[in-house]
Amino acid sequence: MDSIGQGPKVVFTIPIFGGIEVTETIVIGWGIIVAVLLLSLWLTSDLKKIPEKKRQIVAEMFVDFVNNTVKNTMGPAFMSFAPYIAMLLVYAVLGALVSLIGLRPMTADFNTTLTWALMTFVLITYFKIKTNGFGGYLKSFAAPIPVMLPLNLLSEVATPLSMAFRMFGNVSGGMVITTLLYGALGSLSRLLHVSFSLGVFDINLAQMFIPAMLSIYFDLFSGCIQAYIFATLTMVYVSSAAEES
Amino acid sequence: MVLAKVTDFLTISPSTILLTLCNALILFLVLKLILFKRVNKVMEDRRNDIAESYRKADEAQQNADRMQAEYNEKIGAAKEESAELVRAASKKAQLRSDEIIADAKAEAKGIIDNAYSEIEREKKIAVNSIKDEITEIALSAASAVAAKEITAEDNEKLIESFIDGVGEM
Repeated sequence: MDSIGQGPKVVFTIPIFGGIEVTETIVIGWGIIVAVLLLSLWLTSDLKKIPEKKRQIVAEMFVDFVNNTVKNTMGPAFMSFAPYIAMLLVYAVLGALVSLIGLRPMTADFNTTLTWALMTFVLITYFKIKTNGFGGYLKSFAAPIPVMLPLNLLSEVATPLSMAFRMFGNVSGGMVITTLLYGALGSLSRLLHVSFSLGVFDINLAQMFIPAMLSIYFDLFSGCIQAYIFATLTMVYVSSAAEES
Repeated sequence: MVLAKVTDFLTISPSTILLTLCNALILFLVLKLILFKRVNKVMEDRRNDIAESYRKADEAQQNADRMQAEYNEKIGAAKEESAELVRAASKKAQLRSDEIIADAKAEAKGIIDNAYSEIEREKKIAVNSIKDEITEIALSAASAVAAKEITAEDNEKLIESFIDGVGEM
């Protein structure tokens, strides 16, 4: 378990450009990519027009879910966004769920959520410029009256930052609370003398079962909901950016 | 791991951002090129298949309706034709049977008439021959009477033998 207030550990350092530190976040990301790659290959092997295998139905359900969500939220013109939204969902959900196998949640690293929020920000800006032209994009900051310029600029920057911090705050907050609870339950076990030492493992009876309840909320529920919120906000921001102002 | 460097809780590191961006792009490509491409293709194929079979079914339905109408028309015509044929045939048969009966009646009448005239002729022949016989017998009887003295007894015998002679004829 991480102690409270720690960021992700540096797993190794690539000795170029003065040493690039590769953190847990990145390595877990690689693991997720490999897992998703293998899962995708397995799910989509041997697809039939009339499905014969359950895994094809699972694959179709997922793809259909994302396709329908994108179509309903963004409209049929944005169907090419479906894999991007699926990437955000899969990455965020799995990134939060890795905490279930004792790893540090990937989305509890601000760099991760910031990266995704910046990607969304780039897309928003791209569609604003594409729809209204560069002049129109610049002018929109002075709308409806030029006095609004600072406020508009602030809201433009606030969009990706709020997205990044919302997800980071939720997942890392959950992680901190779970860690605190673990510490407290460990102390409680020692107080009640229900703490054993088995080789290198410390077994604290009070740490059993109770954290699982909180984990259901903080890891499963919060992780999935935040992933869904992030994906939905991306869809809403991008499609509204593509509308004529 | 124990000696590994631990970053701060909230830090912004450009290298992590860059690597996360790479990861996101790779994951995006994996999902797009493997999962979505394949699944969308198979679902699209299925949609086309279903649309195609609906179109074919509509076509077949229309064909069937058209053919049924055609058949109904043909069957109606055939029924009418057959009724006409039956009517004509029974009329013809009636005529033919009447003709046959008339013929038969005429023929029967001819046969009966022939038979009557034959009988009449035979009767005449028989009567004639009987008459000849009687004449002959009468002549022989007369000659016998003439050649012999006749007693009453003889007369009786004579008559008896004559009658016998007639009976034997």
